[in-house]
Amino acid sequence: MTQQTDGPAATVAQDGTTTTGPATAPAFITATEVDRIPTLLAPTSGGGPVTAGLYFRVGAADETLATAGLTHLVEHLALHRHGVSDLHYNGSTAATHTHFVVSGTAEEVVAYLNGVCASLRDLPVERLATEREILRTEQAGRSRGPNHQLPLWRYGARGYGLASYPEYGTLHLTADAVRDWARTWFTRDNAVLWMTGDTVPEGLDLTLPAGQRKPLPAPTSALPVTPAYLTGGSGGVVLDGIVRRTSAASLFAEVLGRALFTDLRQKGGYSYAADCEYHPRDTAHATITAYADALPQKQDAVVGGFIDVLARMCAGTIAQAELDSARVKRLKLYETPDLGAAALPSYALNVLTEHANLTPDEHRAELLAVTVEDLRDVARELHASALIQVPGRPVDWAGFTEAPQWSAPASDPAGTVHRSRQSDAVSLTVGPEAVTLVTPGGQISVRYDACAAMRVFPDGARHLIGFDAFVAEVEPTLYAKLTPDRMAVIDAAVPAAAVVPMPERDPDEIPQAAARRGGLKDRARGMLRSLRPGRG
Amino acid sequence: MSPTAPDLIRAEFDLCRQIPSLVDLRTAVRGSDWDTVEAYFDFLDDEEERAVAANLVSDLSSSERFLERAVADHGSPLARTLLAARYISVGWDIRSSYTAEHVSREQFQEFHAWLRRAEQLLIGVCADEPAYALAWMNRLTTARGLELGASEVRRRYDRLAEHHPHHIQAQILLLQQLCPKWGGRWEDVFGFARECMAAAPAGSHAGRLVVQAHLERWLDDSDDGPGDYLRATEVRDDILAAADRSVRHPDYRPGFHWVGDHNDFAGALSLGGHYREAAPYFRTLGDKATEYPWGYWGDREVQFLKHRRRAMAKG
Repeated sequence: MTQQTDGPAATVAQDGTTTTGPATAPAFITATEVDRIPTLLAPTSGGGPVTAGLYFRVGAADETLATAGLTHLVEHLALHRHGVSDLHYNGSTAATHTHFVVSGTAEEVVAYLNGVCASLRDLPVERLATEREILRTEQAGRSRGPNHQLPLWRYGARGYGLASYPEYGTLHLTADAVRDWARTWFTRDNAVLWMTGDTVPEGLDLTLPAGQRKPLPAPTSALPVTPAYLTGGSGGVVLDGIVRRTSAASLFAEVLGRALFTDLRQKGGYSYAADCEYHPRDTAHATITAYADALPQKQDAVVGGFIDVLARMCAGTIAQAELDSARVKRLKLYETPDLGAAALPSYALNVLTEHANLTPDEHRAELLAVTVEDLRDVARELHASALIQVPGRPVDWAGFTEAPQWSAPASDPAGTVHRSRQSDAVSLTVGPEAVTLVTPGGQISVRYDACAAMRVFPDGARHLIGFDAFVAEVEPTLYAKLTPDRMAVIDAAVPAAAVVPMPERDPDEIPQAAARRGGLKDRARGMLRSLRPGRG
Repeated sequence: MSPTAPDLIRAEFDLCRQIPSLVDLRTAVRGSDWDTVEAYFDFLDDEEERAVAANLVSDLSSSERFLERAVADHGSPLARTLLAARYISVGWDIRSSYTAEHVSREQFQEFHAWLRRAEQLLIGVCADEPAYALAWMNRLTTARGLELGASEVRRRYDRLAEHHPHHIQAQILLLQQLCPKWGGRWEDVFGFARECMAAAPAGSHAGRLVVQAHLERWLDDSDDGPGDYLRATEVRDDILAAADRSVRHPDYRPGFHWVGDHNDFAGALSLGGHYREAAPYFRTLGDKATEYPWGYWGDREVQFLKHRRRAMAKG
């Protein structure tokens, strides 16, 4: 998942609310405007530093696979002018928002915010090549969470699913593309500012172009049936599901996390880490993600224990004490001094995503009203939409359905058939509408008009990634008669916006057909290994 | 348990003849009388006896439709568990008693499909009642059949043992999982058997775990015919020592398991040629025999009677 830095003391942000309606600031927070940007203020006691954040309603889920990383690039370019300083500031790009946050004296905060907006008005695109390089390095070094595959399998290669992918845009995006993106999304109408203090400090100039408040991206689906499973991964078990944003759901995540920890770590000793998180996804829904790693030789017990904990939650066998202790922990968050200031980032985000804001009293009342039955209902909602990734063996025995491993069978694709040089049982068809890989196990088809991205290699290869996240790798070295004119058919049919020019490959990375030695069976096996069929 | 005449011509394998009160249960199942079935299980306050009663129900082919109706009517944990046990029994019959490499692909698919149906019922029962021994016990079998892995079987046993630390039926099932034929190691088999026996109060059923470990070891050594493993003096002495802590201990309470206990001891001793030592167990058993261990070599009844005759002649 994309990083979700939320500024100081943003813990309250994880709370959802049940009411919907016009997004307004509650009484203890002052709503105003700075250069026509909606602004929220809340006082702090005793003159600490000023903390402020500028949110934009744009993130990775608004991009396409071919342009992934656009928002991140804009964020980096906007911060470039700040260079190295002692000032405590940061920028972050999440699935649906971008956040510039700063803490310091009033003058420092003003200088920072003015600088960000000045950069957004006129991006230092001369830095583009360098920032693209920096982002690629950042990606290579980024540690990915155990759940990083789930978005792709749930949503496909677009929208919220892009969190699973590399930022292909950093390979090729032009100055024009980056400037257009900033002009369209980083506007005064698509932003919310929050700041601690009673008043807006002098000297702010946050002039930004006019635009419009952008709606949240509509979720797509690549999972026809849930609860679903996939196998593989790092050895642990990870599950996510989509639930309505409620106080009960946020409490449930706490209860589930503790139950997993108790059963898998404390009681069983099968796991070291076991936890659960609740993250709002959009205005009305949140993602609950539960995870447990596995000690060596204990993977199977972790899977079984995980499924039993979830089943117990769905059955409603939840002790009142489990609910109470989660609730006490959550209510403690409301005992912070300067609650208004601490809650600012989440309130600002709610304004941006049109999710109703509640007062702390209303929040507390909602938390106090949650019952064990409410938690059970959340558990069932989670289970009904769940996608679980397990190591090793399938979990069909627990009622989960395997996530699609192959494309839906297409009607016999017209086009030229190119036999695999490695296996007689495998072929690739280049048709007028799609490229289709046929193997004994099934077929993978990517339609040109549903192609999220096509990786184009200087050596001639083309990798087509469909919106459903299936990949067809068209490698001229691996199939017979993939002549330039056949490749030209693909190039002409795939939309230009989906094209991702790739850097030259090391000769070792270009797949070569193994010499035809040994029996047919051996060749077929080698072929299927090299194909890496499936998604990714 | 009075001494019986040595010249038997048939053995009694029917559990209901061995434990007469089970007849009431069988009659109730055959008569689709849920209230009586439930009352019977309520009456048994010993989990180990409930396990024996559940085995009886799951072996009755007439129980399937009756239990499905009970699950549809009220879905009590007992009904769901007994139905799951029946599904396991149906599945295991399909798999038959062949070893893994002799079962066809279709047999396996069907076998697994029955076990999955059972497992999903049992997941629900354990979620509702985390201390429900009967359900956990059956989940040891589904986990083994579905090949969910050694650590998962062990987890299930541990969840059961948390509330029922000396559950002999579950211990027998875990012992199977620990055997090399299911991917385990002999040291674990014997380690577990001795651990259970040491942890249980004197006079418990756990002595038979040591006996079963030896029987499994012997079976594993026996290729075309019975091997010599059980003939060793150390093995014999180990079995007799287990008997002293178990069936021959003054605190031994027969319960529903006494027939199984005594058949294990009689079997392990007489299959090792220790007829004189086996005789007291046969004498106690009379004509009451069990599938295990007599069914492993040839006809179970012929085997039981043959060994019994030899033992009674010596002892």
